[in-house]
Parts: sequence; C-alpha cells; structure tokens
Amino acid sequence: MKRVGVFVCHCGTNISAAVDCEKVAENAKSFPGVAYSTDYKYMCAEPGQELIKKAIKEQKLDRIVVASCSPRMHEPTFRRCIESGGLNAYLLEMANIREHCSWVHPDDKERATIKATDLVKMAVAKVMQNEALVRSTIPITKRALVIGGGIAGIQAALDIANAGHIVDVVEKEPSIGGRMAQVDKTFPTLDCSACILTPKMVDVANHPNVNLITYSEIEKVEGYVGNFDVTIRKKARSVDLKACTGCGTCIQKCPTKVPSEFEMEMMDRKAIFTPFPQAIPNKPVIDRESCRYFKSGKCGVCQKVCPTNAVDFTQEDELVTERYGAIVAATGFDLFDDSVYGEYGYGKYKDVITGLHFERLLNASGPTMGKIKRPSDGKIPQNVVFIKCVGSRDEAKGKAYCSKTCCMYTAKHATLVREKIKDSNAYVFYMDVRTPGKGYDEFYTRTTDQYGAKYIRGRVSKIYEKGDKLIVWGEDTLLGRPVEIEADMVVLATAMVAKADAAKLAQMVGFSYDQNNFYTEAHPKLAPVETHTAGVFLAGACQGPKDIPESVAQASAAAVKVCGLLSKEEMPTEPIISAVNEAICSGCGMCVPVCPYTAIDLKVIQERVHGKTVSRKIANVNSGLCQGCGACTVACRSAALNLKHFTNEQILAEVDALCL
Amino acid sequence: MSEMTKKMQEIAREILVKGEAEVVIGWEKGTFWYLSPPAFIDKPEDVQRLVWDDFCHNNLSKYLVDLKNHEGKAAVFVKGCDSRAFNRLLQDKQIAREKVVLIGIPCPGLLDQDKAKELGKNSDLPKAQKCLDCQYPNPLVYDYYLGDKEALNEVAATKEAADYSDVAAIEAMSPDERYDFWTKQYDRCIRCYACRNVCPACSCRECVFDQTRVGWIGKANNSSENQFFALTRAMHVAGRCIECGECERACPMDIPIMLLNKKLVKDINELFGEYDAGIDIEGKLPLGHFDKNDPEEFM
Amino acid sequence: MSVKEMPQNWEPKILVFACNWCTYAGADLAGLSRLQYPPNIRILRVPCSGRVNPQFVIRAFQRGVDGVLVAGCHPGDCHYVSGNYFTRRRYLLMQRLLQYVGVDPERFQARWISGSEGPKFQQVVTQITEEIRAMGPNRKLRDAQ
Repeated sequence: MKRVGVFVCHCGTNISAAVDCEKVAENAKSFPGVAYSTDYKYMCAEPGQELIKKAIKEQKLDRIVVASCSPRMHEPTFRRCIESGGLNAYLLEMANIREHCSWVHPDDKERATIKATDLVKMAVAKVMQNEALVRSTIPITKRALVIGGGIAGIQAALDIANAGHIVDVVEKEPSIGGRMAQVDKTFPTLDCSACILTPKMVDVANHPNVNLITYSEIEKVEGYVGNFDVTIRKKARSVDLKACTGCGTCIQKCPTKVPSEFEMEMMDRKAIFTPFPQAIPNKPVIDRESCRYFKSGKCGVCQKVCPTNAVDFTQEDELVTERYGAIVAATGFDLFDDSVYGEYGYGKYKDVITGLHFERLLNASGPTMGKIKRPSDGKIPQNVVFIKCVGSRDEAKGKAYCSKTCCMYTAKHATLVREKIKDSNAYVFYMDVRTPGKGYDEFYTRTTDQYGAKYIRGRVSKIYEKGDKLIVWGEDTLLGRPVEIEADMVVLATAMVAKADAAKLAQMVGFSYDQNNFYTEAHPKLAPVETHTAGVFLAGACQGPKDIPESVAQASAAAVKVCGLLSKEEMPTEPIISAVNEAICSGCGMCVPVCPYTAIDLKVIQERVHGKTVSRKIANVNSGLCQGCGACTVACRSAALNLKHFTNEQILAEVDALCL
Repeated sequence: MSEMTKKMQEIAREILVKGEAEVVIGWEKGTFWYLSPPAFIDKPEDVQRLVWDDFCHNNLSKYLVDLKNHEGKAAVFVKGCDSRAFNRLLQDKQIAREKVVLIGIPCPGLLDQDKAKELGKNSDLPKAQKCLDCQYPNPLVYDYYLGDKEALNEVAATKEAADYSDVAAIEAMSPDERYDFWTKQYDRCIRCYACRNVCPACSCRECVFDQTRVGWIGKANNSSENQFFALTRAMHVAGRCIECGECERACPMDIPIMLLNKKLVKDINELFGEYDAGIDIEGKLPLGHFDKNDPEEFM
Repeated sequence: MSVKEMPQNWEPKILVFACNWCTYAGADLAGLSRLQYPPNIRILRVPCSGRVNPQFVIRAFQRGVDGVLVAGCHPGDCHYVSGNYFTRRRYLLMQRLLQYVGVDPERFQARWISGSEGPKFQQVVTQITEEIRAMGPNRKLRDAQ
C-alpha cells in the first residue's frame, strides 16, 4: 500500500488569505492513497521541514505532496527535505497553490479553495505513480578542446592550461592569431594589436599543456559532456612540421604569386606561404589550389631548395580521433558582403574598401608599409569618408543587429587618418554613435574634438566615380540638407557576421544557433557562455559581435566553466530522462529525428523467437545526452519510450484526477 | 484466364523453381466471386491458384512483417498502393529490402466489393472509392515488372490533383452536424481492430490500444472510447497513411475510416507542403521534422 | 449527471498543459504580479509542450474537461531547442482533426506564452474561460458516465 503524505502550506498569509488551507488538507484525506494530511504556516522553514520528516517516520509515509509555492521556487528544498527524511528525492510532487492559486484568486476564497483542492488531487494522483530515481554519474575525460585559434580561443586555452588541464586548439588556418592578427591598432588605447597578441600566441604555443593543431578542421563529434569523441581532419600541409626549420627559402624561391587572404588581397603571397610574418607555427603550407606542382606536376622548386627536405608533396589529410571532456567553440566571425550595397560601389570601385582593408593599409607590415594609400593608384588620400552600419541595423538588406564594434573602430580609423595625413579630412556618416565601454566615449570625443573628424548624421545614398575622385552623396539629417563630398577613399564599417560554416559545426556538436547563425547561449543573462549542450561553451564573436576585451573576458569565463567540469572525476546526471521499453520498441526510428540532442540511436539486440535467435533494432537512449524534454515519447506511437517522472501513466492519472 | 494471371503464374513458377524466393505471395479466388484473398504459394505446382482480377484488393506488403524473422526470401506482387505500403514498412524498418522480391503489376483500378455483393454478378460495377482516389496506379518499386513499361511512364506523367470533395463535404457541415455524423459512424465500431491489423502504417510490436496496464483506453465499447480510438489512430497514421483503403475494406461495420485519413493527408499537404507517404523512403516524415516557417496560428 | 443540461452553478473546467520553462514560469509571474484571472484553469506541468501527447488531450475531453489549452515557449525559444516546433506541427493537425470530428474550435487551443508574459497568460486564460463559459459544458467526446 502506498502511503501519501500531504502538507499544505499557508505561506504566512500568502496562501491562507485566499485559500482555506485547513479545508484543503482535510479534503486531501479522502483522496486515494493519502495516509496523512496536514497544514502548517511555513512548510519551507526549518520547523515545517522537520514536521514533514517527522511525519515520514511516524506515519510511515512513502511519498509526499507539498502544496505551497511554485516548484520552480522550492522543489529543490523539499526534495532535500524528504531525502534527509529517508525518502528518495523524486517521490515528491508539489501543488502550486500560491502563484497559480491564492495570488491570482484573492477575492473568491470558496473557488480558490476548490481549485487548490483540485491541484492537490492531481499532485496526489501523480505522486502515486512516482518512482524512486537515482542520479547516476558519468566519467569526465580530463582534456579540453578549443575550436578556433583567434584571441578568444588562445585566451581560453591559456586559462585552461594554466589551471593544469591538457587542451587542444584546433585552428582552420595555417596559423593561430585569427582576426586580431589582421588588426593594426586597438581602441581605445591605440596600442599595436600584434604587440599584444603575438606574446600570447607564443605563450600558448610554448605551453606544456597546450597542443596546437593548425590547418585542421572538425570532422565529426560524437558523445556527450565529459566524453566527446571528436574526429579532427588535419589537412595536408605538404610540409613536414618536424623537419621544417621555418627558414623561408622555399617561400622566397616559389615562382607562384596569389593574392594574400591575410592582406585582404591587396598584396600577393606565394603558393607556399605563411599567412603573416609572426605566424605560429612559423612554418609554411602549400596552397594546393594554386601550386604549380599540384596543378601541372611541374616545378617542385620548394622541394629542391629545402635544406631539410621538409617539403612533402605526397602528404595526405589525416584523421585523428581524440576524446575530450569539454569543448569551447571560439570560431570567430566573417565580414558581411558589402557588394550587397550596390549604391556604395564596393567591389566596383577599388577605393571603396572595408574597415579590415583599412587596418591592413595602416599596418607597418601591410601592403603599403603603414602609409595610408589608395589601393587604385597608391596616392595618399586627402578626403576619407567613413560609412557606418554597413550590413548591420538594416533588416532590408543586411542584418537587424548592431555589429557593436564599428562605432569604435571607425572612430579609431578617423583619428588615424587625421594623425597620419597632413591636412586630411575624415568624414563619418553615422546613424548613431554607440560608445559604451571603458574609455570608449572619451576616445570618440577626442576623435571629434581633438582630431577634428567630421561626423555627419545620415546615410549615404550614392557613391560614383568622377575622374580619380569618389563623389559621395548623402544627407545630413540633423541639418536637413543634402551633402556631397569629393572623397579620395571610402571605408565601409562592415558588419560582423557568423562564419559561413557556423551552422555546420553547431549541428555536428549539437548545440543551437540563432537566425543569424550566431551560436546561442544557454541563457542570455545567467548562462552567457554555456550552450544548451552540457560541456560545450562559447567564447568570442561566434556568439555575436564582440570587441577584443569582451572576447577575452568571455573566453576566460568559458575556461572557468571548462575547469569546473574537468576538476571533477565524474559528474552526476539528471535522472529525468527517457527510457525505452525494449519489449515494445519496434525500432521504427521515428524518435531519432525529433531528439534535439541526438541522444537516440538504434541498436541491434538479439532475442529468442520460437527457438531461433533473431536480431532486431531498437531505440537506445544515451543517458549522457538526453535532457528529458520528452519529444521522443510523443513521436513513439506505441509508447515504448517514456519519460521518467513525467510518464504517460502519471500524466493520464493527473488528467483523470482533475475530473474525479 | 487473363493475360496478367498467366504472367503472374509464370513468374511465380520461375521464382520458386530457381529458388529466388521460398514463398510467393499473391491472390487466389476466394469463397465468393467478388473475393480474391491472399495466397501463399511455396510449391511450383501450386502457382495455378494465383489470379489477377478486379477484386485483388488485399494489400500484400503487410504480410511481409509476419515473415520478418523468416530466414528465406519472399516474393510478393505489388500494385501501386502495395508498393507504397512496402516503402512505408521499409521506412519503418519493419522489413529488409534484400529479403523481398517485388513483382510489380500495373493496376487499372479495382471494383467495389460491397457493390458487387449487393448488385450481383454481371452487373455494371463501380470502381472502389480508394481506386477512384488513387494517384499511383503503378508500382513505385519492383524487381520484376509485368506490365508495359511505356504505359508506366505515361501514367506517371499524368498524375492528377487529389480529389478531397468528400472531406470538404464534411468540413462544410456545422460542428454539431460533424459531431453527430462521426458519432453515428463510430458508435458502430466494435473495436475489432481489423483496420489496424491490416494497415501498413500500423506496425508497432505492441499497439497502445492493447496496453491495458497504461490505461490509454478502456475496454468499454462506448462512443467516448471509440472516438478516442478513432482520433488516436488517425493521428498515429498521420503523414504515414499510404491511402490503400485497406482499413475501410477490412472494417466489418462499414465505417468510412478513409474520410479521417484523407482529412489528415489533405491538411498535411496544405500546412506543410506537398507530401505523399510511401513514395520517397529517404524523405523526412511530416511529423518527424519541422520547418521554422511552418504556419503560425498559436500566437 | 447528464451532460446535456446546463447545471446550476456550473463552472467550466479548463486544463492547461504548460511547459515548465516558459508558460509555467509565465503563470508563476502572473502570480508574482498578482494578476487576477478566473479560477477555472488547472495547470498540468510538463517539461516541454512537445511532451504533450494528443492522447492526453482526448483523454481530458473524455473525462469531462470543458476546454484544453496547450501552451509552451515561443517558436525559437524552446528550452529544448526544437520541442515546440514539433508541438506546432502536431497541434496544427490535431486542432483541425478535432474540429473535423465536431469539436468546437474554442474547446481546444494552443498558445505560446513565455516566462516573461505574465499579462499574456492572464489574458489568454481569461479569454478562454469566458469563451467556454459562454458555450456551456462540453458534451463532445465525453465519457457518458
């Protein structure tokens, strides 16, 4: 015989003012299974909890209903309470007679009491079917994976490694460094980006706990928190990293020139190359798409000149699989395609460029050796026009969101134009100037007041070429008049967008992304670095537009989450998950595609049928991945899948009880 | 003996003699002239039992489920609807393709059995409703094909829009009229579950209606329980019904079950885009995936 | 009790399947904000609206509930990533099927109510209660006993 104890809380007068708690407790005595029922002023307080524990012992109760506030408030409290009273924590149900009853029906005590009674009745019917559930544990593999070797990935890796854990950094490009390596100076301090980045690159490369896996991509991810099995494709570098000394002779002798991606195609690189001088590893890679040897079978100069015989044309992609306890996604961002804005002529006029192009023009090791020169003819521009919000804050043509960093980098660019070019003019077309951040607004104020950049509130409607000038038409909406500027160069503050292949990685790992393909945090306020997938964390602009300090802060936060996980030998799992009734499951697989966590697969079992051993497929729930949503239980027509603690039987019992 | 019957017997004999399959599932003449029940032929000398006529209604693919644990291969004749049923079961992973030899037959549409029984032999019989509604008279999958291949392509090219006028007629009623209509229908239900047993979309090892312990449904045969049964079954075959009409044919109480199934087929097509079950076995099922841009009515 | 006649003092009984993360939290917020609504609804907590089997809905009508509301997170906001997208598909069909067999559209409804939409919760359940009160007790699909 099941013996249910019902405990009705007054919550001071929060409940009892609108609900006759004594009557509810009295009514509950007649419900099937109820052995004991009482009410008390504050159930969650120490004496209230003692009352429950005492009743469990004295009344030999084996399951408990607490009628009080929302279970979202005190379910953990009462679970602990009955656990210390000797019952399994999951033999508790709560009837929410405060938020869902007394607080919303303050003026009708009679009907509020009827409703409270009904809610208790449903809870009793459910708890009669509750089963003791046991939290199990899963082992934690003490190794972390950071995907992406930009500043966010580097910071996360360093923090994890400094805490004493092994971490692998997988970077798609031949070198770590990411976007920050392309940036010339950083706002608001105007210190050189490379000067602060490269020491960190060296640190991470030399760290005994860090393995850099460059020129590599994630191929497959299986498993779950604590135990991700990740297959990494190490792309053929065509250079033996162990043998290569990085002397650079091969690069010098290579006869093939192609536009350098790192230099935004404003300068050439060779077919065998390192993306930039401070690259790590500072050893070249052959771009097989443009290499003469791979295209025609002729050449092979690099191999001939290599003093250590490190060039290996026969190298093939290599697949390695490693197990990780936690994953940090730090895959960064791409730039919006500005050619969408035909009126700006990006892609048509050589001197209409993006902010990242401008960074390279500013950089001492860039295509112009740090002199601001026009890409078209190398002339030093006198009038430079900046246009903000290109691709951002524009639902019609671009993205609805604010790209966040553009206001500041445009202010930086305008400052540098004024600083580097004598008698120059910097015009900035803007919709708003957004400068929250330490020292940011002060920087912007200096840009306008001290450096004299001319800010014009309004959008540009057209840019066209006239002689060697770019005529910029816009409107000054503050003065309400059209503006025409004869510019030598136009810089577009291009929006940050998610990586083109962002969704692919998210699908592989099994976490979610938003409509813009930025990765979705588990909670926008309280879990900003977690994903919905346990053990997977986010750092940097892959989650949304961010500047460097924010990326670094988020990376460190993600690292702490990883360390918290890796510091444990094993972790407890929530027992409210789906379970398969193997006898019933027909293996149709309808449950597989509805699971958002790829927690269900089909496995083959063997059984005896009429004296013969036959095998058949059945659904198999991975308890490490299942989060207990119950989607599979409805997809399963024969109810072979059931969700523990929210079983079909329990829900039917609640429905039935409501109408008894 | 019709040309097709002859071809069927020949190929069945060949398959059995060569040992391509251990059993051939086809149709034979039954107790009455308007019945052509399934025949299971495992000896070459028995092939003359096989027939092809206007009453070969039974969807033979479902029988393959019973042979799931049988070691040898089975050969089975498939009309258009039978082939969709085969795909349906394949998609539900209830049969192994490599264990089945499919012999495709082009189907001109079969005659209404009930009318045959009522009007007698030599009367002018109408086609069965499911055949009037049929969009796929030719088999979609087969290893052997007994008809004219060119005709096959011709017919495939002229797929007409489905006719939902019978569903629309019910939709046009008032809610109370609809409720009374269906109550009258399902008050007749004796819950024999013949509709389920014959259905190629019903392949659960244990049907929810048999799970007395869980208590999905009571034993009582009353309007309420019968309606629970009808609605639940309709939802369970939603997006999976291949419109073979076997449920309705098997129903001893003449309940127009296909009117429920067709309603769901119609709504699925309207809401989630064109979809016919049992055509593409790789495709996602309407209730097995979603589109972020699905119609929004629940704001 | 005969289901045909309108009993005196009859009050509609409405079952709300509420997902734990959004609608249940929205109902909690309605409580915290002291937003009043008629005491006719009974909330049944499920982890996700995607957990609500259509059979639960039919069962509720069988047992004498006058109206059913299935409510969950807005599409795109599901705590379990995609559960409510399946809910939407399933109940777009189910709603039409129920109407097809004669159930009045007001009797079964589905809504998206987030954890921050206390006022929306109040408004939705008030409206449904009033609609159903005007219609009287549900007799359709109902177990005669």
